[in-house]
Amino acid sequence: MLLRIAACLTAAAAAAAAQAPPGKAFGNQAAPLRIEVFSDFQCPACKNLHEGALAQVHRDYVRAGKVYLIHREFPLPMHRYAREAAAYATAAARLNRYEAVAAALFRQQAFWSNSGNVEAVVAGAVSPAEMQKLRALVRDPQTQMAIEQDIALGKQNALSQTPTMVITKGFRRYPVGGNQNYAILKRFLDDLLSK
Amino acid sequence: MRWILRLLRWAMGGVFLYAAYTKLREPWLMFAMAIDSYQLLPEWAVLAVARTLPWFELALGLVLLSGYGLKYAAAVASGLLGGFFAVMIWAYLKGMNVDCGCFGAGDPLGPRTLIRDGILLAGALLLTVLAFRPARASARDETSVLSA
Repeated sequence: MLLRIAACLTAAAAAAAAQAPPGKAFGNQAAPLRIEVFSDFQCPACKNLHEGALAQVHRDYVRAGKVYLIHREFPLPMHRYAREAAAYATAAARLNRYEAVAAALFRQQAFWSNSGNVEAVVAGAVSPAEMQKLRALVRDPQTQMAIEQDIALGKQNALSQTPTMVITKGFRRYPVGGNQNYAILKRFLDDLLSK
Repeated sequence: MRWILRLLRWAMGGVFLYAAYTKLREPWLMFAMAIDSYQLLPEWAVLAVARTLPWFELALGLVLLSGYGLKYAAAVASGLLGGFFAVMIWAYLKGMNVDCGCFGAGDPLGPRTLIRDGILLAGALLLTVLAFRPARASARDETSVLSA
């Protein structure tokens, strides 16, 4: 029991220490619940979660100040273009355009997963001027470092699959793997909020 | 044979108790999310299973450990594990990216979980066969005594 408490405290401290990446965190930082979503842009379940339950969490909980939502990259080595997509999304976050780029990448996942043309999809989601900045930011070592930090954090959380939502309330952390049905996820969030 | 039966009974009882413990130590809705990710049951059934299955596993584990009604307990364990295994194979063949839900969170469905649960199912089936064997053997002995 003592070991478990120590592990919880260490993990919570690590989570608190891990800075929310600029442009990838949404909602009130002081919200009672914190959700960190580790995704891979090329993973179909991540697309389903992003377009389904997560969109509804954003609408019902993040905007209401109940959840602080943080997106983190966890590109899997088996997905050839996932790292490049993560780099574009992370670069877009630095221009506060993460949501638009992430939505486009997930929406057109089938296209770029086959063709490898990630850039074309991103270009369709931002203005030409922004795209020019993005091309430079993708090559910036800071962008790559931010992805590495997310991956390291995922490994620290013993992530075993993507997507994984790590839901934190106080010192307790609840890792939830795979795509989720919003109705049951909502029950869980409401249950945590009521305690 | 008797010691194999006892060993299997303890092992299966321990597995069911551990499975129950890993589910009961977390909020029950986390297990509900794991069940729901298989997309097999309607919401009301997901919630009902999530509420009851861990307690059922706890009871089954205790019954197996006690050895009381072993034939029936072993048959129920085999049926339960057979059902789980069938669902897992189905989800794996469909390429579903889900949490196994077998022993708490962070246990994604994959070859490792399938091998583990396959071994458990084989153990439960063997236990069932062994649990029924003494009854058949004693019945045979009785028949031979009567015919003599």
